[in-house]
Amino acid sequence: MRSRAILLLLLLTGLVVAFAPLPAHISTPIDRSFRVEASQFAYQPGEINVNPGDKVTIELVSTDVVHGLYVDGYGVSVKADPGQTATLTFVADKSGSFRLRCNVTCGAMHPFMVGKLNVGANTWLYRSLALASLGIVSVFVLARTTKVE
Amino acid sequence: MKPSELLSRIIITVFSLGVVALPLTIWAQTPLIHAKIAESGGWSPDIIQAEVGQPLHLKFTSDDVMHGFAVGQMEMQPVDIEPGKVSETTLTFDKPGIYTFFCTRWCGLNHWRMRGTIEVTGSTTSLESATKPLYVTLGLNLDAPHNAPLVPTSPPSAVNGQELASTLSISQLTTPDYYRSHSPYQLFDDLRFTSLSTSQRWDVVSAIWQANSTPAGLAEGKQLYAQNCAACHGEFGGGNGVFADDLAATGAASMQTMNGDMAMSMQTPADFTNPQRMLGASPALLQGKILRGGMGTGMPMWGSIFTHEQIWNIVSYLYIFQFDYSNP
Amino acid sequence: MTKFELTRFPLIKNVLKNRYPQLVVFVLMLAGFLFAIVAGLVGTPVGSHNFSIVFVWIAWWAILILVAVPFFGRGWCGVCPIPVVGDWLQRGAVLEPAKKTPRWLNLRVPAKFRNMWTQNISFTLVALFSSVILTTPVVTSVVLAAMLFLAIGLSMVFERRAFCRYLCPVGGFIGLYAQTAPLELRVKNKNVCAQCVGKPCYNGSDLGSGCPWDVFPGGLTKNTYCGLCMECIRTCPHDNIALNLRPFSADLAKPSAKLDETFKAFIMLGAALVYAYVLMGSNGAVKLAAYSVFSPAWFGYAAGFLAVIFGLLPGLFWLSVKFGDIKKSPTGKQFATAATALIPLGLMFWVAFSLSFVLTNATYIFAAISDPLGLGWNLFGTAATAWQPMLSSLVTPAQTLVLIGGLAWSARTAQKSAPQAGISPAPVMVYCLLTTFVMLWLLL
Repeated sequence: MRSRAILLLLLLTGLVVAFAPLPAHISTPIDRSFRVEASQFAYQPGEINVNPGDKVTIELVSTDVVHGLYVDGYGVSVKADPGQTATLTFVADKSGSFRLRCNVTCGAMHPFMVGKLNVGANTWLYRSLALASLGIVSVFVLARTTKVE
Repeated sequence: MKPSELLSRIIITVFSLGVVALPLTIWAQTPLIHAKIAESGGWSPDIIQAEVGQPLHLKFTSDDVMHGFAVGQMEMQPVDIEPGKVSETTLTFDKPGIYTFFCTRWCGLNHWRMRGTIEVTGSTTSLESATKPLYVTLGLNLDAPHNAPLVPTSPPSAVNGQELASTLSISQLTTPDYYRSHSPYQLFDDLRFTSLSTSQRWDVVSAIWQANSTPAGLAEGKQLYAQNCAACHGEFGGGNGVFADDLAATGAASMQTMNGDMAMSMQTPADFTNPQRMLGASPALLQGKILRGGMGTGMPMWGSIFTHEQIWNIVSYLYIFQFDYSNP
Repeated sequence: MTKFELTRFPLIKNVLKNRYPQLVVFVLMLAGFLFAIVAGLVGTPVGSHNFSIVFVWIAWWAILILVAVPFFGRGWCGVCPIPVVGDWLQRGAVLEPAKKTPRWLNLRVPAKFRNMWTQNISFTLVALFSSVILTTPVVTSVVLAAMLFLAIGLSMVFERRAFCRYLCPVGGFIGLYAQTAPLELRVKNKNVCAQCVGKPCYNGSDLGSGCPWDVFPGGLTKNTYCGLCMECIRTCPHDNIALNLRPFSADLAKPSAKLDETFKAFIMLGAALVYAYVLMGSNGAVKLAAYSVFSPAWFGYAAGFLAVIFGLLPGLFWLSVKFGDIKKSPTGKQFATAATALIPLGLMFWVAFSLSFVLTNATYIFAAISDPLGLGWNLFGTAATAWQPMLSSLVTPAQTLVLIGGLAWSARTAQKSAPQAGISPAPVMVYCLLTTFVMLWLLL
C-alpha cells in the first residue's frame, strides 16, 4: 500500500514536471533579421535564437547550389538560388526548439542538412532532463519499498 | 523430385530473374539526358542530333543537385531538372545549325561550363552569316584597361539631366549608334563645349544613357543579371557574389604553379559599382566582354546563349549601378 | 504473468510447420532484395529517390528497429532473404527437407570465430562508412550483393548459417536486443529432450535440417542466437518445441556475462550517440568528414568514433562498476554482467534516433514506390509526392517517452543484474542517466 502511494506520488510529480506551465519570460516581441548562408551541407549560422512572438526574417543565401530552408514544426519554407537571396518572414508564435531542414535536394548528404531554431528556452529539453532524473529516483525509491528479487 | 519441389524451383527462378530482367530492360530503353555538375562531367550526353521541323522530345534527370535546361538564343521556358526526378520538353527547330544548350540553375562554381550542343541538320535554306559584334568593328581591345580619368562624386540623376538636355542641341550625341560606341566618360568629355558644370554634365550623361533604354529592357536586364551574373558579381554589382572568393582563390592557387600574366588568370569578378571602371566602358565594350568571355579570368562567354537584344538589355542594366534613374 | 504458448493453437502451429507459407515469404523477400540491388546499380544516383536507399534505410530500417526487434526479437532473421539461397544449396532443395549427406564442404566454423567479435567488426566497418552507404545507391547495392554472395559462399564452405551467426553486421545487435522481446522459442519440457535419442532438432532428420543457427533447442534459455527459422518445430518428434509470448526483457534476468556481447552493447550505444551528433546536428564540418571517406578528415572522424565505442564508453562504465565495489578491481565477468543494463538502454537510444529520421523522410517512400529507379515511372500514382516531414509535433514527445522509458528499463535491469555481479547498482544507474542526458540533449 505504501509503495502504491509512492508510485502515485511519483507519477503526479512526473506529470507536473512534464506539463506544468512555467513562468513565461515576458519579452516584448521585436523584429529580428538573420542572414543564413546555406552550403553543402550546413547552415551558417547553424543555430538561431529568438524570443516567442518575435517577427523573424531569414535571408537565405545559397553559396554553392540551390538550397532550401524548411522550418520543421512551423511548416514555412523558402528556396534560394546562388546569387538570388530569398527571404522568409514569419512570427515565432510557437516556443521550443525546431529544426531547419533543407528542402531542395542538394547532394548526397542532403537529408542530413540540418540547422536549429530556438524560440525561447528549450523548455522541453529541460523537462525531459528532469523527467529522466525523476525516473532514476523513482526506480530507486520503488525498489526500496518493494523487494527486489 | 516431387512436382511441388520442381514447381517451387521454377517459380523462384522466374520471379528472381523477372525482378532483375524487367527493370533492366525498361531502363535500357529509357534514354535520359543526365545532368551532373560540371566537375562530374556535366551533361551526358552532351551532343544531341535533330532535324529542322522535326519535334525533338527530350527527357532529363539530375544525378546530383538542382539543374535546369534551356537552349541558347531560343524563345522557350527553361525546364527545371530535379535530382532523382524526370522532366521533359519538346523542341522544334526552324533553322539548321549548332545550338548551345545550357544549365539554368546555379549548380556550383563551374555552373556556366555546363553546356552541350544540338546539331540541327536538314534544310534547304542557306546558312546565315553572322554579323560582326560592334567591338570588332570598332577595333576595341576588350582586355585593355578602361578607367575614366574623371568621375562624379555621387550617382548622377537622369531626371535632372533630362531637363538640362532639353535646353541643349546635342542630337548627334543622343543616337543609339553614339550611345553604343562611346563610354559615359567620352560623352561627358564631348559635353565640355556646353556651359554646364561638371555635375550637370554627368546628369546629362545619365539622362542620355537612360533614354537609350526602355523600362521593359531594364526589367529583362535585371532579371537576366539576377539569374546569371549575381552569383559572381554580387546581387548589388559589387563584384562580391557568393563565388567571388572561390574565383580569387582558384586564381591565386593557379599562379603558384606558373609564372605568367596575372591579368588573365581567374580573379575576383568585376565590380560594377566602381565608377572609374564602369564609366570608362562603352556599351560596345561591355557587350564584347559578355559575348566573348574573360579568356581565362572565369568570366563566361555568353555569345551562344543570349541574343544581342538580351545582352544590350543587360548592358543598360549594368549602368544602373552608376546612374540614378529614379524620380526624386 | 509468465508465458503464453502461441503454438497451442493448431492454426499457428500448422502455419509455422508448413513449409509453403514460409517459402512464399522468402520468395517475395528475395525478389524485393534483388530488385533493390538492381535499382541501386542502374537507377538514379540520388539516394532519396532510389528504391534501394529508401526501402532499405528508411522503410526496412523503420520496421526493423521500431517493430521487429522490440516486439519479435529475431523475427526479421526468420524472414530475411540473405541466407535462403545458401540454405537451398546446402539442402539441395527449396521445399523438401535436407538430405542426410551434406552436399558441400560442411566444415565447422573454427572455435576462435564462434563468437560475436566478427560481427562487432563487421558492424563497426559498416558504421564507419555509413554516411556513404546510406546516401549512395550504388554503394548500398554493392553492400547488399556482397552480403548475399558471402552468405552463399559461406554456406558452401561451412555448415549451417555461418553468415547469419558470425558475420552479418545486423545480426549482432538483433540478437543482443532480442533478449528484450516478448516472443521466444523454447522447449516445453527439458526432460523430454534429455530422453530424446538422436536430437534431430540439432542433427537434422527426414523432416528438416538440424538447427541452422547452431543452437541446441533443448538448451535454449535466451533469444540471442535463435533465428526463428522453425526447422526445429518441424524435426522434433515429440512436439516439444513451442513459440511463447512472455514479459519484455525476460532474458535479461539471467545475464550472459559474455564480453563479446558486452562490446556489442557499447558499439550500439556509441553509434547511436555519434550518429545523433553527426547526422542530426548542425555541424557541417563533421558531416563532411564522415562522408569524405579516406580523407584525412575522415580518419579523424573514424578515430573519434572508435575512441567513443571502444574507449570512452567502456572506460566510463568500468569506472561505474568499480564504484559499485570500491574494494576490488572488477573482473571481466562482473563488467559483462553489469553491462546487461545497457541492452534496453541501447535499444531505446536507437528507437529514439530512428524515429527522428524515419518520420522526417517517410514521404520519400511514397515517391520511391511509384518511381523506384527515378526513370519517370508512376506505378501507383504517388511519384510526385513532395518531401514533407510527418508528425513533426509528435517526434520530440515520442523521443522523450522512449528515452525515459529506456532509462527506467535499464535502471530496473541494473538493479537485477548488479547484485549478480556483486556490485551496487547505483553507479551503473548514474551512467545510464548521464548517457540519457547526452542523448536527450543531442536529439531534442
